[in-house]
Amino acid sequence: MAFVTYKEWAAYRSHMLISLFVGPVQFLVQVFIWRAVYTNQTVLNGLTLEQMITYYAVVTIIHYLVMDFAAWNLHMLIRTGRFVTYMIRPLSHRFFALSQKVGHRALGFVWEFIPVYCMFFFLFQLTLIPAHAGWALCSILLGFMMHFFLNYCIGIMGFWLIRAEGVRRMIMIFSMLFEGVFIPLVFFPLAVQKVLFFLPFQFATYVPIRVFIGSYELAGMSFELPHIIAIQAAAVVVMFFVSQLLWRLGVKKFTGVGT
Amino acid sequence: MKSQVKIYLTAFKNALATRMAYRIDLFVSAFIMLVFELIIPLVTYLIYSSGAGFPGWKFHEVFLIQAVFLLSKGITFPFFAGIVWNTITQIREGTYDLLLIKPRNILFMTLLTGIDIEDLGKLLGGIAVFIFAVSQVPDPGALNWVAFILLFVCSVIVFMSFAFIMAASGFKWVGNFRVYEIFEALTSFAMYPMSIFSKGVQILITACIPLALMGFFPASLILGKPLDWLLISLVSCVFFLVFSIFFWYRMLRSYTSAGG
Repeated sequence: MAFVTYKEWAAYRSHMLISLFVGPVQFLVQVFIWRAVYTNQTVLNGLTLEQMITYYAVVTIIHYLVMDFAAWNLHMLIRTGRFVTYMIRPLSHRFFALSQKVGHRALGFVWEFIPVYCMFFFLFQLTLIPAHAGWALCSILLGFMMHFFLNYCIGIMGFWLIRAEGVRRMIMIFSMLFEGVFIPLVFFPLAVQKVLFFLPFQFATYVPIRVFIGSYELAGMSFELPHIIAIQAAAVVVMFFVSQLLWRLGVKKFTGVGT
Repeated sequence: MKSQVKIYLTAFKNALATRMAYRIDLFVSAFIMLVFELIIPLVTYLIYSSGAGFPGWKFHEVFLIQAVFLLSKGITFPFFAGIVWNTITQIREGTYDLLLIKPRNILFMTLLTGIDIEDLGKLLGGIAVFIFAVSQVPDPGALNWVAFILLFVCSVIVFMSFAFIMAASGFKWVGNFRVYEIFEALTSFAMYPMSIFSKGVQILITACIPLALMGFFPASLILGKPLDWLLISLVSCVFFLVFSIFFWYRMLRSYTSAGG
C-alpha cells in the first residue's frame, strides 16, 4: 500500500516542489523576526538566537517527515459514502491509512526533506545535526505516529458530523498552535504551558524538535531526553487506544448505501 | 456597470443560500477563518509579553500593521479571492468550459462563481482587529484618514493581483491548490515592520512585489512613521495589477479541455 501511494503521489511531484520555495521563505521570515527580537537580549525563555533559528529550521524539516492527511481523507470517504468499500476489505482502515501515510511521507522525504535540508545547509549555513541522533530518530518516529493518531481521531469525527470540514480545520489549527509550530510552547503563559503538557499535541512536533535540539523544557519542567521520549511513547500508546475506542463508537454510526 | 452589480449581488445571494444549507459548518468554518487569521497577532503578542519585541516598534504599532493586513485580506477573500480555488477546481473537473460560453466577460464570470461566504469570517475578524488596533493609537487626523483610505485601496489591489496570478497559474498547473502556500509564504513579509528586514528584502517588498503596501505603509501613515519607498511602492502596485490581469488573460489562452 505504501509503495502504491508513493507511486500515485509521485505523479504530482511538481506540487511537492512548492515546498522548496515555501519552506525556506517562511523560514527566512522567521530568521528576520527573531534576529530583530534578539537585538537587545541573548536568551529568551531559555532559548538563544541560535537555538531559536535551529528550532524553526527543524520545525520546517520535521513537518515534511510527519505531516498527515488522514483526517481529511477519512472525512471525505465518510461524506461521499466511499468508506463503505473499506468496510468489506480484509484489513483495517487505520492500517490502510497508516500505510498511505508511510508512502506519502517517503515521497516527502525524497522531494521535500532532502532538498530543503540541503538548502538550509548551503544557503543558510545551518548544520542541522541532532544533539543525539538516536534519540532524535526515536522521537521523530513517535511524533510521526502521534500525528497519525491525532489526525485519525479527528477524521473519525466524520461519523458523527455530516460535514465536519470546519470542525476539522479548527482542531487542526489549534493542534498546530499547541504543537509549537508557530512559536515555541515556552512562550505561552505558565498556566497554559501546564495544560499543554498534558495534551497530546506537544508530542507530535514540540517534543521531537526539542529532542533534536538536545534539551527539553515546558511548564517550568526539564526532562532528560530518554525520560521525555518515554513519556512521548506512553502518550502515543494512549492515543492508539483512544483512536481504537473512537473508531468502535464511530463506526456504529456509519450508514452507506453502496457506491 | 449597473447590470454587473446586479449580477454580482445575485451571485452573492446564491452563494450565501448554497452555503447556508450546512449552517453549523458555515459558522464553524467562518469562525475558524477568523481564529486562523489571529494566530500571527497572537504570536506577536506572546513575543512582546516575554519582554522582547521589534526595536523601535511597540506592540500596538505592530498589531496595527497586522490589523490593516487582515482587514484588507478580509475584504478581498470573500468577494474576490475565491477565484483561485474556483478556477483551479473547475479546470481540473473540466467544468470551466461552461463559464467560457456565458455571454459576459470571462474574468467577471470567474469572479462571480468564486464568492466564498465562509471567508466572511476573515472580514469580521479583520474589522474587529482593526477597530481594536486603531483605538490603541492617537487619532491621525482627517487628512491622514483620507490618505489611509487611498493606501488601503492599494492594499486590496495588491491582494486582488495576487488572486489573479494564483488563479491564472491553474490554467497551466492543473489541480495545484498549493499556490495558496506560496501566497501565504510571500505575504508573511507584509505583516511585520519593514525595518526588521535587510535592505535587499526591503527593495523586493516595495519595488518588485509591493507587499509593504498590504499592511506596513497604511499602518505607518496612521502611526505617523516615515514612509520611505512609498512612491515606488505605489508605482509598483499599478504595474503589479496590470501584470496580473495581463498574466490571467495570457494564461487563459493556454487553457485546454476535452469538454465539460
